[in-house]
Amino acid sequence: MKKPIIGVVAILLLGLAVFAGLSFWGDGIDIGSTHFKTGSFAENMLTPPDTATSAAANVEDSVKKANVRQPLDTTSKVILFAGDSMLEGLGPRMAAYATANGHTLINVIWYSSTTEIWGRGTRLKERIEEFHPDFIFISLGGNELFVSDIKKKRQKYLNNMLEQIGDIPYVWIGPPNWKPDTGINDMLAESVAPGSFYLSNGQHFDRAKDGAHPTRQSAAAWCDRICKWVMDSSYHPIKLEVPVEAKGKCKTIVYQPEV
Amino acid sequence: MAEYSFSLSTLWYNIVQQLCYNPQEPLMFSSGLFWVLIIIFLPIYSLVKSRRTMMAIFVTLFSLFFFYKSSGLCFFFLLATSVVDWALAQYIDKCKKRAMRKLALAVSLLCSVGMLVYFKYANFLLFNFDAIVGRNFQPLDIILPVGISFYTFRTVSYVVDVYNKKIPATTSLLDYVFFLSFFPCLIAGPVVRASEFMPQLHENKAPTREQVYGGMWLIMLGIIKKAVFADYIAQYVNIAYGNPTGYSGVELLMAILGYSMQIYCDFSGYSDMAIGLGSMMGFNLGVNFDFPYRSLNVTEFWRRWHISLSFWLRDYIYISMGGNRKGKLRQYVNLMTTMLVGGLWHGAAWNFIIWGAGHGLALCVHKFLMPSLKKIPDNIVVKFISWLLTFSLVTLLFVFFRADSFDTVWAMLCGTVTRFDVAYFPVFLKVRYTWCALMIIIFAMHFVPKDFYNRVRTWYINSWWICKFIIFLVVVQLVIEFSSADVQPLIYAQF
Repeated sequence: MKKPIIGVVAILLLGLAVFAGLSFWGDGIDIGSTHFKTGSFAENMLTPPDTATSAAANVEDSVKKANVRQPLDTTSKVILFAGDSMLEGLGPRMAAYATANGHTLINVIWYSSTTEIWGRGTRLKERIEEFHPDFIFISLGGNELFVSDIKKKRQKYLNNMLEQIGDIPYVWIGPPNWKPDTGINDMLAESVAPGSFYLSNGQHFDRAKDGAHPTRQSAAAWCDRICKWVMDSSYHPIKLEVPVEAKGKCKTIVYQPEV
Repeated sequence: MAEYSFSLSTLWYNIVQQLCYNPQEPLMFSSGLFWVLIIIFLPIYSLVKSRRTMMAIFVTLFSLFFFYKSSGLCFFFLLATSVVDWALAQYIDKCKKRAMRKLALAVSLLCSVGMLVYFKYANFLLFNFDAIVGRNFQPLDIILPVGISFYTFRTVSYVVDVYNKKIPATTSLLDYVFFLSFFPCLIAGPVVRASEFMPQLHENKAPTREQVYGGMWLIMLGIIKKAVFADYIAQYVNIAYGNPTGYSGVELLMAILGYSMQIYCDFSGYSDMAIGLGSMMGFNLGVNFDFPYRSLNVTEFWRRWHISLSFWLRDYIYISMGGNRKGKLRQYVNLMTTMLVGGLWHGAAWNFIIWGAGHGLALCVHKFLMPSLKKIPDNIVVKFISWLLTFSLVTLLFVFFRADSFDTVWAMLCGTVTRFDVAYFPVFLKVRYTWCALMIIIFAMHFVPKDFYNRVRTWYINSWWICKFIIFLVVVQLVIEFSSADVQPLIYAQF
């Protein structure tokens, strides 16, 4: 009996050593053009205990901190608005706001994108270097409502996105939940700078046929609430008065899904 | 390379956290922690195996720890059930008076089944009672111990078998706790019976090379089924079932088919791992899934699907109620009752009852039509139609099993029919090609001859150690790749 058991234990033990060792590489290893993911052994064993509080408390905390706000900035801005398909609804209304308030708007729609897809690459940084925005909106998270163990899987990508944004004032627009999420809003509330996270969850939305995206009208009303919040409550308020005209100008860049 | 600062206190804290009960992270066979524990468990097990009492104590303690990691202090309920049923079985075995034996059996069933009813069905019963009397439902704060349905069925079979004098009562309490808490079968079966398990425990034979490496082979198959196929397919299924109005007929149909594959891979994968672990320890736990989607009729399906459970239902409910010995009508009633219990056993909700009723009805119809069906020629076209009908029925009934409400069932079925457009198929294939590939693979695997599997298994057992090691690395890497791969719910906005 002992010989085969020793053989099996040796397989398991050596396997553990291999995968534990590889897990120190963090995200993964590239061999040629192939990316191999690594396990989370090192992360599980060597990451200090998580002292984060609940999302609601974080949002509250974020709002409290944002009470020490910057004064309203009334100058014209170059606004970069990046995110997933939710921009289809938000983008046109944001364009109306931008035109009415003297801003220049660039919408970057990456269909089906997630924090992982943006955070894995440098596309956000490239667009920042291209357009030199002085204000950024991000609308992302709708594709990650059901991701299990989200902090383990996505925190690093979110951090990477925030690093790409750097010191530029920004507002992260949380997803308009159509089902309870598995933690994306919590993660965003914990990670995004104070006064820079707009919680969309819990608001009323009329949904399009797909049951997920707000209708054009509902998305426009959502955009109105966002802009009001930016002016009244965010850490970096910029001028976003309600436009008289329904339409506005913007440049739109579209990226196809990466599935 | 990621930067980790080594701190002994952090490492110690994380190890303790990993070993403590966390309701969010129950210990599963597919988790890394379980395999780290197995690395420690197996050498000690092989050392104490020859000393039966030591081995029994060691395995029982490990099993109880395993149960604690999954259900916290609920492992005391398992211990309580073990002690009560062991004592009552002893009494039943020795007692000569029929009435007293019957009373002891009733007390045993009341305790074990009562505990199951309280933990699993109390809220369901209260909800329905409150709905009837028009009162506001206030759910009781009950935590369901993991695996209670499985160990309850095991203990019931033991006491009933002792009552029927099929097996003698075990005199050793340790042996009984060992049997009931045996960790490979604790969480999700198979529902191994004492009549099959106890003789193996008493013999205490050392596992052969074939058992050890055959077990390892089964475990790897199980891990791939569970952590690669089931978990990946589940992501899309969850998304579609979560918002059925947002998807086309083709997408919903794929989700319905996907769930049939997901539940098979999930259940049978976990069973494979359990049976493989048992085999590595020298125990034969039988076969629990035998290519169920090959079935040509629903009776055959239940001989291939969750075999230990369906045979348990047959022996302890269907046959206990008279089976087919009391006329045709009574047989149909017995079949329906058995399948209703089977449905309710899977979960405390009406959709599970409907699922069970659907299968019961299908079994009755099949039994009723049997004489006429026998006259139909047994050619390939008939076989194909039989298979298609059986698979479609099983898949359709799984919609009830999976949906969280009857509204969802309705939305899934209506959406599939009313929004069906073949033109979506190529788009679906293009966008979700990995998902489709996994579906095709698991479906095709059903039709590979059994001989082929046996040959591959034999090859694995006899292969060089290095081959086994490389296969293990490939399997683990596959699990890592797929466990962190997410299926996107929204491909395009559909304005």
